[in-house]
Amino acid sequence: MAKALNDTLGVKRTIKHFDFSEPYWEGTKQKKLVIQYCKATGKYQHFPRPVSIFTGRRRDIEWREVSGKGVVFSYTVAYRATPAFRGAEPYAVVSVTLDVGVNFVANIVNCTAAELKIGMKVKPYWRPLDDGTHLMMFQPDNGPA
Amino acid sequence: MGLRDNAIVAYAETKVMEKSDRDVWVLSGEILEELLDKTGIDKNEIDGLVMAGLSGTGAGNPFWAQTTADVLGLEVGFCEQVHIGGCSAAGCVARAAAAIDYGMCEVAFLLFADTHVLEDHTDHSHSYRREWTDPYGLMGPPGAFGLLSRRYEAQYGLDYRMLGKLAVTQRSHALLNENACEKLRVPITIDDYMNSRMIADPIRLLDCVMRADGAAGLMMMSRKRAKQKGLAKAIIPIGYAELTNFKGGENLVDVTKSGHEICGKKALDAAGLTIKDIASFHPYDDFIIAILLQFEAFGFCKAGAGVQFIRDHDFSYNGDLPLNTGGGQISAGQAACSSHNLVEAVRQLQGEAGKRQVKDTRNALVTGIGWINYGRNWGSSAALVLVPE
Repeated sequence: MAKALNDTLGVKRTIKHFDFSEPYWEGTKQKKLVIQYCKATGKYQHFPRPVSIFTGRRRDIEWREVSGKGVVFSYTVAYRATPAFRGAEPYAVVSVTLDVGVNFVANIVNCTAAELKIGMKVKPYWRPLDDGTHLMMFQPDNGPA
Repeated sequence: MGLRDNAIVAYAETKVMEKSDRDVWVLSGEILEELLDKTGIDKNEIDGLVMAGLSGTGAGNPFWAQTTADVLGLEVGFCEQVHIGGCSAAGCVARAAAAIDYGMCEVAFLLFADTHVLEDHTDHSHSYRREWTDPYGLMGPPGAFGLLSRRYEAQYGLDYRMLGKLAVTQRSHALLNENACEKLRVPITIDDYMNSRMIADPIRLLDCVMRADGAAGLMMMSRKRAKQKGLAKAIIPIGYAELTNFKGGENLVDVTKSGHEICGKKALDAAGLTIKDIASFHPYDDFIIAILLQFEAFGFCKAGAGVQFIRDHDFSYNGDLPLNTGGGQISAGQAACSSHNLVEAVRQLQGEAGKRQVKDTRNALVTGIGWINYGRNWGSSAALVLVPE
């Protein structure tokens, strides 16, 4: 069952941003993962929201750079794709628990179907987009901690 | 006054179609006519219209319920569109009962009409999807349930053949249901399930619901009024609860748990029943594994014991726990705003299920699942306990 996985790097993406997500996308221009942090509770949240999901307040939100390292929480392999991804099947979508305690859904590159496992360590892979931002993806993290 | 002071006095349902050959309002008119004919109620007695908002055809029109009232010639004191996704049908029952209790209407027409294959105006663009899942090709519900299934398997182990057993049972029920979508009325085996092509590994084709067109409806009024009118086959909602955005203020959530743990207990407590008392189970089924998760969440078995529970029970209409006796949505087709399992439960309790009639009609438990949230399982959960008058 060691089927090949496509990395989806060739899929064209045009992403419309919510205005309250802009600091995230700004960060990706420098290949930095910048996510929301709630000052009142000391917890991170992802995806970006207009308020803290912990306190309901706008003023508790700030943006912090994080490593993007984490472990695979779950994964699925798409054999049937959304229109933009047709021809790229099969490809994996992973949900990763980042080391700051949030889950992040993305694709994974440089990884075979046989290697992909729940609990495996991953780190960011930045795929350039036409607007100067980057798309956060993951790749296996085999390096020293 | 309360939920159980209200009654469902009749149901109506069109056949499920791969693609409707008539407009959604023609289907709506058919449902209205059938309910009026069944109950003997005069059209002008209807003063409440409660519509499930899960309509792809209606989705583009912010005035959908009002427009429908106009098209059907209904003057109503309560006009409502219920927007909790696949919980909407059960949610309509609770909201109609609340409106009757409050005096906003006396006779409520609950309408579940959708032709989303023929004409779909659904638009997910103003949601997390555009930034956080579409760029990664995660295909809506199958993708989310793929992530969910793989995680369940890692936590507890998962014998996919037992999911296949549920698929086969539901399909055998659809064979007995003339209103099920004709395309799906073909017998399947566990091997067919196992060998069906992967969609979002480990989600297979025969795990998935198929979108289809159709309409259904219910008529509700107070229990007292139903008695006065001699509508003897009334079905009483005796417990209902719903929950949207389970643990929405937390980050890392166990995706094998859902809001059903909370609303299931609430609905059963309100009904004065325990899960062991449930005579037939009509859980929302968009994917087969959702049924397994609900066995666990409602307390039929412990967390992680769903596979063993499936192995140990017979879910046929004449088995020890009849399950989705009309075929469920997966084998009847996902039509009529996902009201199929609710309408089937009402039909069973009225003793009108023909060849698939369950023996024990003391009660039925109907559930809802609605919407897919980011990286979790589902956004809304609902539970409704019904008993015959």
